[in-house]
Amino acid sequence: MTLAPSLTGTVNPASARLENVCKFYGEFQALKDISLVIPPGKVTCLIGPSGSGKSTLLRCINFLEEYDRGGIWIDDRLIGYETVGGRRMGGRALREMRRDIGMVFQQFNLWPHMTALQNVAEGLERVKGIPRARAHEIASEALAKVGLGDKTGNHPSRLSGGQQQRVAIARAVAMQPRIMLFDEPTSALDPELVGEVLGVMKQLAAEGMTMVVVTHEMGFAAHVADRVVFMERGELVAQGSPAEIFQNPGDRRLAAFLQGYLERNSLEL
Amino acid sequence: MFSFQTIIDNLPVLAASARYTLLISGAGCFLGLIFGALICVAAVSRASAARAFAGVYVSFFRGVPLLIQLLLAFYLLPLVGVNVPALAAAIFTVGLCAAAYISEILRGALNAIPRGQAEAAMAVGLAPRDIWTRILLPQALKISMPALVNELILLVKASSLVTVVGIVEITRMSQAIASATYRPLEIYLTAAFLYLAINLVIAALGRNLERRLAW
Ligand SMILES: Nc1ncnc2c1ncn2[C@@H]1O[C@H](COP(=O)(O)OP(=O)(O)OP(=O)(O)O)[C@@H](O)[C@H]1O
Ligand SMILES: [Mg+2]
Repeated sequence: MTLAPSLTGTVNPASARLENVCKFYGEFQALKDISLVIPPGKVTCLIGPSGSGKSTLLRCINFLEEYDRGGIWIDDRLIGYETVGGRRMGGRALREMRRDIGMVFQQFNLWPHMTALQNVAEGLERVKGIPRARAHEIASEALAKVGLGDKTGNHPSRLSGGQQQRVAIARAVAMQPRIMLFDEPTSALDPELVGEVLGVMKQLAAEGMTMVVVTHEMGFAAHVADRVVFMERGELVAQGSPAEIFQNPGDRRLAAFLQGYLERNSLEL
Repeated sequence: MFSFQTIIDNLPVLAASARYTLLISGAGCFLGLIFGALICVAAVSRASAARAFAGVYVSFFRGVPLLIQLLLAFYLLPLVGVNVPALAAAIFTVGLCAAAYISEILRGALNAIPRGQAEAAMAVGLAPRDIWTRILLPQALKISMPALVNELILLVKASSLVTVVGIVEITRMSQAIASATYRPLEIYLTAAFLYLAINLVIAALGRNLERRLAW
């Protein structure tokens, strides 16, 4: 796979700031007072056991999930509410903020009735109002940059998992977001297809995109992340550089999680 | 004695009356799709007033016989000052009635679409209207294609009810010819054959469309 020099053109990466974010599902508290700074142009990985609230937290950042307390700011703009604890933000304002936030899902969530090209062009046309011909040009460049220049006419059902996820990344990147959210982007992939997706993500990281990545790929977290955040039972338990988290896990729960990960992965061999 | 000649003689007139059958069921189904999609969107909306409206709508049009609905439209519309031809009123009523069933068909299909489809659209920043018209409804239509074809076939048969407002489609025409010729068996057999032919064609077109929608 050959990648074109730049996936994004010039990025003007955004930062994000979370303060005392709480999220309830009925009685159950999925997020407990999460405060976190996502630095601009850096890769922040969220790790933790299943059910610890990683996806919930990630989805609160673009308000796909409504948080109940606290605040989340993209650069200096609060998302989802007009003021902290105030009224819900209007649909138009929310959509405008979401233009800056790209998202990639575990299950790809490509639209099955559209070709790869149409999947990427849809947002360019409908959200950015770019005329169809130009939108298709941009979309086909975006697909070429993730190594899918020859697959633009394929429907998702005619693409491998790795190819589908690269289309999904192209769909997000083509909108020129300033921050990208990834929810376990390689978890649904056969092992031999993981590399091609991680490759595209590494390139995005190298280009200075702000990235928040929920991942079980500890190798990716260790080698690509600038910051690693460990969550358990809805709490932010530890955060630090990959070296601090992986080589020197001070926290008992973090150490236990990493130990478990090592054991599972050596057993799988 | 069975008379083939009767069939041959009357086939053209009967077949000509089929245009009303086709028009009422076809246009009714088309209107039903549009109204049905709107009712379906209302039924799953966040706004409780919209959901309530959809609920009442579906209950009424599913719960009252089409025959009564047609008579109501026929006698009610002039009372409130709406003077439309019987044919237009009939098509409209059939469309409203079909919409109740079609909205339920589409609602079922929507449930089969993974949540992530709309989420991906929201994440890209698509507006609700685009999410419906570009992402959800096209997929719902595909999923419900067999049920929609079924609905159209039911409408072709139900269109015989519009005779109560004086429209002469296949059934009404065959009654008239049967009593004029004293050949009910031949005439009704011809009518049966016409309905069967129409519905076989619809079923075939439906299967063809389903195949082409396989993506
Ligand atoms: N829609 C929902 N309704 C009720 N509970 C939910 C809902 N979504 C998530 N939860 C609960 O919230 C908790 C956090 O879920 P979340 O999906 O964020 O976990 P996760 O860390 O992403 O796990 P995984 O690694 O398995 O993806 C879980 O206990 C889950 O059962
Ligand atoms: Mg998750």
